[in-house]
Amino acid sequence: MKNISISRFLLIGFFLVYMIVPLLATVAFSFAVRWDRSILPEGLTFDWWIAVTTRRAFSSALKNTLLLSLATTGFSIVLMTPTAYWAYQRVPKAKPIIEVLTIMPFGIPGVVLALALIRTYARLGGALVYSPWMLVMACTVIGLPFFYRPLANALNATDIKVLTEAALTLGASWPRIIMKVIVPNIMPGILSGSLLVFSLVFVEFTLANLLTGGRFKTFPIYLVEYTRFDGRQASALAVISFIFAWIISLALIMLASRSGLRREEAIGGR
Amino acid sequence: MQDSLIIKRNSPLKKWSIWLPLLPFLIFAFLFEIVPVISVLLSSLRNDFFWLTLENYRRAITPLIMRSFSNTIRLSATTAAIGVVLGTLISHALVNTRNKHTHNSVMALADVATNFGGAPLAFAFIVTLGSTGVITLILKNLFNISLYPDFRIYSITGLTLAYLYFQIPLMILLIQPSILGLKSDWKEAASTLGASNWQYWKRIALPILTPSLIGGFLLLFAHSFGAYATAWTLTGPDINLVTIQIAALIRGEVQLEPGIADAMAIMSLLIMMLCVAGYQWASTRAAKWRS
Repeated sequence: MKNISISRFLLIGFFLVYMIVPLLATVAFSFAVRWDRSILPEGLTFDWWIAVTTRRAFSSALKNTLLLSLATTGFSIVLMTPTAYWAYQRVPKAKPIIEVLTIMPFGIPGVVLALALIRTYARLGGALVYSPWMLVMACTVIGLPFFYRPLANALNATDIKVLTEAALTLGASWPRIIMKVIVPNIMPGILSGSLLVFSLVFVEFTLANLLTGGRFKTFPIYLVEYTRFDGRQASALAVISFIFAWIISLALIMLASRSGLRREEAIGGR
Repeated sequence: MQDSLIIKRNSPLKKWSIWLPLLPFLIFAFLFEIVPVISVLLSSLRNDFFWLTLENYRRAITPLIMRSFSNTIRLSATTAAIGVVLGTLISHALVNTRNKHTHNSVMALADVATNFGGAPLAFAFIVTLGSTGVITLILKNLFNISLYPDFRIYSITGLTLAYLYFQIPLMILLIQPSILGLKSDWKEAASTLGASNWQYWKRIALPILTPSLIGGFLLLFAHSFGAYATAWTLTGPDINLVTIQIAALIRGEVQLEPGIADAMAIMSLLIMMLCVAGYQWASTRAAKWRS
């Protein structure tokens, strides 16, 4: 029995070390004056943080990424919420079709999606396929599994048919039913789907790099450029990105524990 | 009730009109999922002389491309296998930890770690295990162990370590419901009947977990097969992986022919789709035991 609890302890300990050391190293590195020969950094400084965050390119990359994430999240909400509601309410036959179409993006590597969009839309001419608009569409595609699953779970958990019929009987109009009855009931699903899509797009590198590239620099592109020429400044950027992931994940965990819905895993964007 | 009556009276036009509100999504999926995939498929089957030919696939059989597939498959299979084993063991250890606090915080950490992806993660590994990385320096100065040049983080071995950073927590999250679903009654029943701990695992627990383990392996495999950002940040264009090759081609860095890129894309799409379909199938099987 003793052996089992020791091995349990070791396993969990190993996991914690593996997960935490790279993060701590990155944080420490971003404050280090010089750290390439001694065990400990030769002094601490805020210089790298100040240097990297005061550049114009930093704020424009951050702004682009926020815009892209917001646009993708907003578009996903507008596109998927009515679709999912209508399928659950009136066209159950459509559910398997929607399911397949929303799971499919799991099976499409980012580089293949970029290649496919370029093959299809480059011939239309113009810079359409390399524009931020196309990037929003591409990000929406890879976000589909993350947005639809929590939404479908929330719809499964509420009896929307009964709610809709009750509201209709009481003489409510359709817009009123949607906004006052349905949306509040499936809000946890919409919220957790939105958070997942938002965080996915915030760190999305592959599609942005291959579709818009230098024309619309996002935060991850900016970060990767820095990893090539200044490690300390790049690590400050990486820390920003980690903090952001923490905030979103904690929000998701809180949301899941409060609403009692199963927490959805975020997969993809690597 | 009333609805169905109305539909019957006005069919079949009315029957189709209820699909109308679904059109925006269906058009979106058609334009940005179906058409792009099909157009790559068609252009992979076409060359200058024929509309339908396997020539591109035949020409894709070069040592370079075959190596990129074998590298990618090996990397994915290794990280998926290690991820499945460690993820399951850690998840089991967590479920059996009496300390609720440890359990919750480690699960939260696993949650967050699956959200750390791509470039920042790869860079964290360079800082930790790169040639002047923190751990590299500690090992060298404190224990006089030189990791370099035998080990390089900018290699497939390095990529394996970096991928495991998201594979292990992902597996923990995927397998957790199935491990929680192992009912303590089953274990008690088995030991009442004289089964040893080993027999319980071999005859009862493992067979029940098998669909979840297979599903987890497939999802982890697909996950690392399609990964690009981590590999690109860590190793740059020098490493020979499928996604790196296709991306180099899109950016026009390599003079491979477009048809060959399309063939590579379709082959990797096929592998990924099979994994995802297998995962779907396995997770329906796995859900059977959880009620």
